[in-house]
Amino acid sequence: MSSSVTRTYVLQATQPGDFTIGAATARVGQGTIQTAPIKIKVVKSENAAPNSGLLDQGQKRDANLFCTISLSKSKAYVGEQIIATYTLYSRYSSIESSEYDMPKLDGFWAEEIDLGEPGFNSTATVNGIGYRVAILKKQVLFPQRSGTLRLSPMTLNFRVNRSFFNNGTAVRITSNSAEVIAMELPAKPADHIGAVGELKMDVEVANTSVKANEAIDLTVKFSGRANLKLIDAPKLNFPTDFESYDPKITDRITVNGGGMNGSREFQYLVIPRHEGDYNVPSITFSYFDPSTGKFKQLSSAPLDFHIAQGDGSAALVTRPSKTDVKQLDRDIRFIRTGDLALEPKNHHLFASWPYVAGLAAPALAFVAFFGWFRRRQKLLGDLQGLRRRGADRVAKQRLKEAEAALKANDRIAFYTAIGRSLEGFFADKFNLGVAEVHAAMIAEKLGHIEGGSLAQQYTALIAECEMARFAPFENKARQQIYDEAALLIRRIVDQP
Amino acid sequence: MRMSLILFALFALFTKVSADVPNSASAAEDAYSKGEYANALAIFDSLDRTYSSASLLFNIGNCHMKLGDIPHAVLYYERAIRIQPGADDIQSNLDYARSKVVDRVSELPALTLGSLWDRLRGGKDLDQWARRSLWACLFTFLMAAGFVIVRKHLLRRTLLVAAVIGFTTMVLSIGLAAYRLSEVTDRSQAIIMQPKVDVRGEPRDGSTTVFVLHEGTKVSVLQEQNGWFEVKLSSGSVGWAAPGSLEVI
Repeated sequence: MSSSVTRTYVLQATQPGDFTIGAATARVGQGTIQTAPIKIKVVKSENAAPNSGLLDQGQKRDANLFCTISLSKSKAYVGEQIIATYTLYSRYSSIESSEYDMPKLDGFWAEEIDLGEPGFNSTATVNGIGYRVAILKKQVLFPQRSGTLRLSPMTLNFRVNRSFFNNGTAVRITSNSAEVIAMELPAKPADHIGAVGELKMDVEVANTSVKANEAIDLTVKFSGRANLKLIDAPKLNFPTDFESYDPKITDRITVNGGGMNGSREFQYLVIPRHEGDYNVPSITFSYFDPSTGKFKQLSSAPLDFHIAQGDGSAALVTRPSKTDVKQLDRDIRFIRTGDLALEPKNHHLFASWPYVAGLAAPALAFVAFFGWFRRRQKLLGDLQGLRRRGADRVAKQRLKEAEAALKANDRIAFYTAIGRSLEGFFADKFNLGVAEVHAAMIAEKLGHIEGGSLAQQYTALIAECEMARFAPFENKARQQIYDEAALLIRRIVDQP
Repeated sequence: MRMSLILFALFALFTKVSADVPNSASAAEDAYSKGEYANALAIFDSLDRTYSSASLLFNIGNCHMKLGDIPHAVLYYERAIRIQPGADDIQSNLDYARSKVVDRVSELPALTLGSLWDRLRGGKDLDQWARRSLWACLFTFLMAAGFVIVRKHLLRRTLLVAAVIGFTTMVLSIGLAAYRLSEVTDRSQAIIMQPKVDVRGEPRDGSTTVFVLHEGTKVSVLQEQNGWFEVKLSSGSVGWAAPGSLEVI
């Protein structure tokens, strides 16, 4: 079971400054419990009360009832807060408002200050005349452009001194107009986010070591007294492997006599897509401080993220689609290092003397080799080889006719051709007439070779061809006859 | 002894012999890596006076590029790519440097058969085709000698074909080597070196300005007279550029 007891205290600050309310202690049963001390910063209320000049003018317009517009500043930077107060001074005891026309706020961003129930809450004396004073309206104005910005006069319609018997008198009053000279900000730094005032930045990261594809919450909080509602979301430069979404904006802003105070929080959802160690350089933003007239830069500590390999489940759900490698910038390729392949200047191999020599050398060597080879062949007497090649050619030539007949399958022509070839070859070889070719002559000329067997075979083949021309049958195949004839011719040619 | 010397000389002819890389080259590389481009440039420039190398010219171009001297960077990249056509890194940097040149002169489509041709005729150095022709010559005559010696019919025929192929290769290589030499020793193109050059109608100061060129633009040089260069753009415009306003690639 739990229960609570609440004590409420209302405090009013009498002067600006930093105050600390000490810890409250309470005895509960046996022990003591304690609260944390509370720090309070009391800011000075903007002095927006009308000055005597304005009051004099107002009194001159109507000594019984007049209104003023007063500004806390007549000169301000663009975006700087100005408090405008609309005040009514009255000597009438009974007054009813009917219609009023508030000034047009051209070139301003305005925020109403909540005053609670309006009414004649105070009194003032102007030039010896006492007035009841009501603050009709209070606004925080932020000039949006430079130049002279004008608040047109407000017009109010009242009915005064109305009673049961009297319908009262209609009174129409007009206030003064007001002017603000809005000054342009000096050259803006790139990281200016539009803030003018006094700011503090807190960067908070819930977890710097997560798994890939798990979300990281990153909060950037601006707090202080400034045009908080006009602060843009700061751009964070995350590594390209981080996916970041538009921030969620949470405002805790109060508008009161001190102007616009509080905080604006940008909550970023960042999802790292790949594991690794990433270093995000410190996040910096600039705001304009009107009290010094200069930009001030806020920066966070650098952030180090350690991203572990994501587990399959998370990756399965949010695996990013394949993306192209982004070309961030261009630069020239790096120099060549190591072997630069240096060569003497203006030296070319082509058409140089060594080159010509290099081309000529193999050619000359070949010619020399060819000559030497031929001579050596002759010297070694490799006539056998030469003669064999010659004999082949001779046999083939002699038997050309027979070969044709063989192919034409003409029996008589074949045997005639073989016989004639053998006789012709023998006659040519030994310089004889065809008539002189007979067995005796063959024996005489070829008898010394291979013990006479060549002569015998030669004669026998001629006789066989003679017979086969007329006989009705053949003893051997024609191809065999042809080969025998060729062999015989070759053997004769081969003789040294 | 003398025989071995001759053999060694022949071997040297047939293979590429690089000069020893002086220590200063690595000093320049160090300087460049540290971002001291001016120091690196001074060393590379001194090497450039005695040696010729596509890599060296490329490195000098890089130094000029880093120092923001675009016309010199273009000049040296052009010189480098001429020695080594088709080299990716040189072409890439040259394109980058050209993108910073003010004048847009439509480049005539070069008479090339694309990057394959560039790579074929280029290579690491100028003399590669000369060396190839020497090898082809040696091969051809070795095959011819083999043809003379060998008796076997099939082998003889193979050797004959090889010799014919070798001879064709040799002739083509000699042709390519001659072409490459003419390409590299060509002095007909130049880069504008001054920020703004008035190209005039006549080779004298004060004559009509025909057109204006800016640094880094590539022009053809037709002739030279008293230091003035007659230049021609790829668009066909012709005029005279003052002495010192351009540098021949």
